[in-house]
Amino acid sequence: MIAFLIRRVLYAIPVLAGVAFITLFLFNVAGGDPVAIKLGKNPSPAEVAALRAEMGLDDSLVEQYFSFVGQLLRFDFGASWADSTPVAEIFWRGLGPTLAVSVPAFSIGAGIAVVLALLVSFFRGSVLDRVTTALAIAGISISSLIYILVGQWLLADQWKLFPVWGFESGAGAATFVALPIIIWVALSVGTDVRYFRTVALEEINRDYVRTARAKGLPERTVLFKHVLANIAVPVITRLTIVVPFLITGSFLLEIFFGIPGLGSTLYTAITSSDLPVVKAFTMLGAVLYVAFNILADVLYALVDPRIRLS
Amino acid sequence: MATTPATADRPASTGATGPRSPAREAWYRFSKDRIAVFFLALFAAYFLTALVAWGIELTADKPFLYEQTLHELGIDVAETATPPDTGHWMRLLGTTSAGKSVLLRVFHGTKVAFLVGLLGAGLSVVVGTALGLVAGFFGGVIDDIVQYVYQTVASIPYLLLMLALAFIVRQGPVAEWYNASWLNDYLSLGLFNIVVVIGLTSWVTLCRLVRAEVKKVRELEYVQAARALGVRWPRILVRHVLPNVFHLVIINFSLRFVTAIKSEVILTFLGVGVDKEPSWGQMISDAKNELMRGIWWPLAASGLALFGLTLAVNIVGDALRDALDPRLKS
Repeated sequence: MIAFLIRRVLYAIPVLAGVAFITLFLFNVAGGDPVAIKLGKNPSPAEVAALRAEMGLDDSLVEQYFSFVGQLLRFDFGASWADSTPVAEIFWRGLGPTLAVSVPAFSIGAGIAVVLALLVSFFRGSVLDRVTTALAIAGISISSLIYILVGQWLLADQWKLFPVWGFESGAGAATFVALPIIIWVALSVGTDVRYFRTVALEEINRDYVRTARAKGLPERTVLFKHVLANIAVPVITRLTIVVPFLITGSFLLEIFFGIPGLGSTLYTAITSSDLPVVKAFTMLGAVLYVAFNILADVLYALVDPRIRLS
Repeated sequence: MATTPATADRPASTGATGPRSPAREAWYRFSKDRIAVFFLALFAAYFLTALVAWGIELTADKPFLYEQTLHELGIDVAETATPPDTGHWMRLLGTTSAGKSVLLRVFHGTKVAFLVGLLGAGLSVVVGTALGLVAGFFGGVIDDIVQYVYQTVASIPYLLLMLALAFIVRQGPVAEWYNASWLNDYLSLGLFNIVVVIGLTSWVTLCRLVRAEVKKVRELEYVQAARALGVRWPRILVRHVLPNVFHLVIINFSLRFVTAIKSEVILTFLGVGVDKEPSWGQMISDAKNELMRGIWWPLAASGLALFGLTLAVNIVGDALRDALDPRLKS
């Protein structure tokens, strides 16, 4: 296990180095001149030269790369171009509001999806199964923007059940995050149900299930004891892998409902070409992705004794 | 593949049948699914609509009808949004807040959706298949490089990569190059942007699948035999290996098609998508301001159009997966 962890972490280093390179290349080369972006139109030549020197843009790409990686290793992410706030501070400010939406939404959504998937595989072929499957495929065919637009218009604007826009920290947050959470669950549950149902049905066709049935075990025991234990592996893997995406939150939901989380911060940063913020968030997202992938493999082995980490 | 034996029609009994091509076998399984066949027909209807819209765009005089307000066209309607009514065919689905025909704009949006879907999914599938084929077939250093590239791309959060690329293509040297190139006459920068962004960010899944499958196929006897006979590797790859992973490509194409047309809506809403012509994404984005004023018909029309096409591709894609899955063969 320890050897496996060390190997995976070592293997992550070149991947993250690659991400750093792509980030630097995208924003400093392909995206046009960062100096022009920061200074706007018609800056004086002296200003341009000073800023180029300060940002190290006169160095070769290789030198720029190493200084970028050096900064990252020192956890020095620079400051926002918009208001000179350190990026780390921006991150901590946005984390709370984002998690207030994404953690409950993710837990509720995953819970509903797993229970529903097991139920429909238990009653497979029944009316319940067919209706759920049909609803799920219809649900995933609707644009996420429509869920948000219609949800906000109907539940907040027309029926006044929730506030349309805004956020407040502490306990008051509950009223503001309720509707985004409902919409998030509605737009994610279809995909998850379909996935978990496929996983469950694949498991149901295996030999051990036939054996259990042949022994005369009731279908309920077969499903919730034997099958559930075996689908735990793909369920856990899938749920672990999406965790990093909870940090970026739902971009669109945060924009629409005025939640000052990481998603809307990132959106503002991208639209205003606030490169230090965008670069730092990209690297952070990649680190989390890699970390949670390793975690998923470890959990995999813990849940399923047949799997040996090597 | 195209040769069909005379005995191709399957007898009602499950008795002995003549040899049939895998494609025909798959079609037989697919056609048993009535719902899927219905949605395939719906997809075909959308496709025809897109072709007609494209044909009109290529032949009609500018300014196009969809760009003009009904007031300008001399149809007696105020220059604001009006709900659907049967007074004139252009008013059947109402008018937008600028007084333009919703019907015509949704109609033209079909063409945009197909451009985005076919080109975006096409690029993604070509990149994924090509990299997966060479990685799985050659192994060794090439495999290591391809694996490294896709692991790196996969590590960047998808939405972030998509948005960052979208903004970069739009403002950087790429946009300058594109505006000067001949491609610009056929595909606006906004559309090109969406296609590139989708193509370059969504190929990883297919690449992984193809690579794993090719690694298995490579060891099969007939590939070994082809090698022993001295057939060169490009021919082995295209004639013997590719057909055996092609079911993965087809299924993935349908998934990416849906991703592409749904991403168009989001990218357009965020201001980095289609801008020079009406698209469903644009109409849905406009609804943000229109809905609060009670103007629901542009959203309803474009949303339903998008829903129908997405649903059709999703259902056909599901049925294709079942029909093409070799494990389900009796």
